[in-house]
Amino acid sequence: MGAKKILAAMGVTVILLLGVSMAVAGTVKINCLSSPDNADALTDFAQEFMKKYPDIQVEVIPLSWEVLYPRILADFASHAGAYDTMTWDLMTGGACSQGLADLEKIRKQYPEVVDPDYDIEDFIPTAWHVYGMWGEKNIGLPFYGATMFFFYRKDYFQQLGLQVPTTWDEVLKAARLLTKEYNPDSPSKYGISLMFPRTHTLFYMYLNWFGPLRRSPSGIAKFGKVDLDWGDYFTQDKKPAFNSLEGARALELMEELMRYSPDPLGSDYGETLEYFGKGLVAMVPQWTACIASWKGSPALSPYSEKVGVTIMPGGHPVSGGWGLGINNDTPHKKEAYMWIQFATNKRHDKLHWLKYNVGPTRYSTCQDPEVLKEYPWLKDVYIPSLEQASHRPRIPEEPKLEDVAVGTLSEILMGRKPDKLKTLDELASEWMRILKK
Amino acid sequence: MYTRLTAKAVPFFMVLPLILLFLSLAMFPFGYMIYISFHDYNLAEGGSPTFIGVQNYLAMFRDNVALSSIRFTLLLVCTAVPIELGLGIAIALFIRGITGEKVIRSSLLLPMMIPSVVAGIAWKMLYNYEYGPMNYFLSFFGIPRISWLGNYTFAQIGIILADVWQWTPFIFLILYAGLQSIPRELAEAAKVDGASEFEITRFIELPLLGPLIGVSLIIRIIDVLKVFDIIYMVTWGGPGSATHSLSYYIYKVGVSFGWDIGYAAAISLVLLGSIVALTTFLIRMLRLKKSLGFE
Repeated sequence: MGAKKILAAMGVTVILLLGVSMAVAGTVKINCLSSPDNADALTDFAQEFMKKYPDIQVEVIPLSWEVLYPRILADFASHAGAYDTMTWDLMTGGACSQGLADLEKIRKQYPEVVDPDYDIEDFIPTAWHVYGMWGEKNIGLPFYGATMFFFYRKDYFQQLGLQVPTTWDEVLKAARLLTKEYNPDSPSKYGISLMFPRTHTLFYMYLNWFGPLRRSPSGIAKFGKVDLDWGDYFTQDKKPAFNSLEGARALELMEELMRYSPDPLGSDYGETLEYFGKGLVAMVPQWTACIASWKGSPALSPYSEKVGVTIMPGGHPVSGGWGLGINNDTPHKKEAYMWIQFATNKRHDKLHWLKYNVGPTRYSTCQDPEVLKEYPWLKDVYIPSLEQASHRPRIPEEPKLEDVAVGTLSEILMGRKPDKLKTLDELASEWMRILKK
Repeated sequence: MYTRLTAKAVPFFMVLPLILLFLSLAMFPFGYMIYISFHDYNLAEGGSPTFIGVQNYLAMFRDNVALSSIRFTLLLVCTAVPIELGLGIAIALFIRGITGEKVIRSSLLLPMMIPSVVAGIAWKMLYNYEYGPMNYFLSFFGIPRISWLGNYTFAQIGIILADVWQWTPFIFLILYAGLQSIPRELAEAAKVDGASEFEITRFIELPLLGPLIGVSLIIRIIDVLKVFDIIYMVTWGGPGSATHSLSYYIYKVGVSFGWDIGYAAAISLVLLGSIVALTTFLIRMLRLKKSLGFE
């Protein structure tokens, strides 16, 4: 009797397990590797997606910026296909393109999943290119649009009767007046908060000064038009552009501003966010992701009366942002496309801005009345910023070029390399060596 | 015969899974690292490895950042380690017999128990220019704010300070335990002969602690040669290349920006070889084998 009971129990267990397996076998599970900036919004959308498509499970895996890129590249190199979808930083587009699926091919292969209301034309063209394309290959759908903006204290400016600066020379004058050391009547301790640490931050910050010079009429005449894949660091014929008077002038402007900023070489994103949030500084070039924490800051309350935002002085802020792509080695390309299409449609582009301040990539969001009511600057500041942004290189060698450049720029700003042109020339030679030219 | 063979084969097959695990997780990656160090292989560029002989090794000596990393690593060895040794010995000698010795001893060990990553975050906050406690307390002495993370020299000092804070307890622990194990009769006999406390310490305790001091020195040198996490969390190797250690540079080259696996492997092997050579030299110079009873 005892043995019969045991056998019966085992039989029931096996049947149950088989049943569960069969039920699970009908479900497709896909994962989405995400940077922290995007993870909250994507997790939110994943819940909604799974309610709409109960046979598809989506797991969002947040990873820090430093770990995300190596994981993606290692997965591509090994063809493990461990990650079905991922957010990729715009300047890693070239390196990631080798492992990302061609979305146009997926759309042709599975026309039934293509959303008729998706409207690719609604994407801001720059966003579509830098977060979506590599050459002729559509490697992603734009998710997080970003450029840097110029935030300032409206109340401090009003107090001193200052105009909102539109050029870096104007910023210099305002910064001096807003720094207590130079003007005892200044309402702020420092005029501006800058972040020039020895990280990728310095690489993109430099473009806020070099970009306007590169894209000036004389810059275009000298260097040619900007290629969106090679970016503003290069000339039209893909040679370094920064080893020039313009490149040196950008560094001079940065140096001149440093005296009005608290510890720029030792500050990064967190420090500048804090300094502005506590009312220590009057101006700060920053990303939109800061807005969420500033809105909760007592020193900036009421936010709409104290904080103004305008296009970066010079008019060509550096671009950032992320695309959503599909791993070429995933066995679930159809479901993966359904997911990334869902996460980047019109509704979610608006939602991730309103709820998470993840920058939009579509005209419809930037012109939406509900959005403009709270963020009126989206139409007149955000769109032009993204359309006229300056770009880092997106080529596969970008990470190496970036690190070499950051080391050099940091040494120059520390004052250890006084001959800027000569140092920039040496850097350009190093870049050419890396590019094997 | 069959029984004898089986008797020999069974233990072998029982440990075989572990051997295979060890080979695959330890020996294979190590062997592959040696192999790839002679190749040009970049994950970001795709393609397969290309044999280039010793080019990666030669490139290291033409690479200014690699050379700067070696210099900073050696600076750490020559400053942090002696400070830790000196402080560790001094604290171990000083706290004996004072009131609250046990409590002080336990609290002195706390820095060592904190993960380096966590300690790094804390030090970064301590070094904050505007709000950091370091500048706050220095202001009591009339010292103006220091850019701990933005100044070439102070960034290096900052890393040294953080390392000394975290690992002096390690030296202290080893030497304190060593002092406890020295027979009391030796000190008592010396006192009877009229030796002062200083003479007892100088001529009896410190010489007996010699082997332990040697072991602590070697362990700390190996650790400092590999330092990575405190740099990663506090300064990111900056400003410029002020605080690039060799380990940190290997990470940058191989994982963070370069994806140049071959070059990273070559630098790793050079570092490994240096550590092995240095420790062998130190063990011989300090005659540790003899003093620890291995000869």
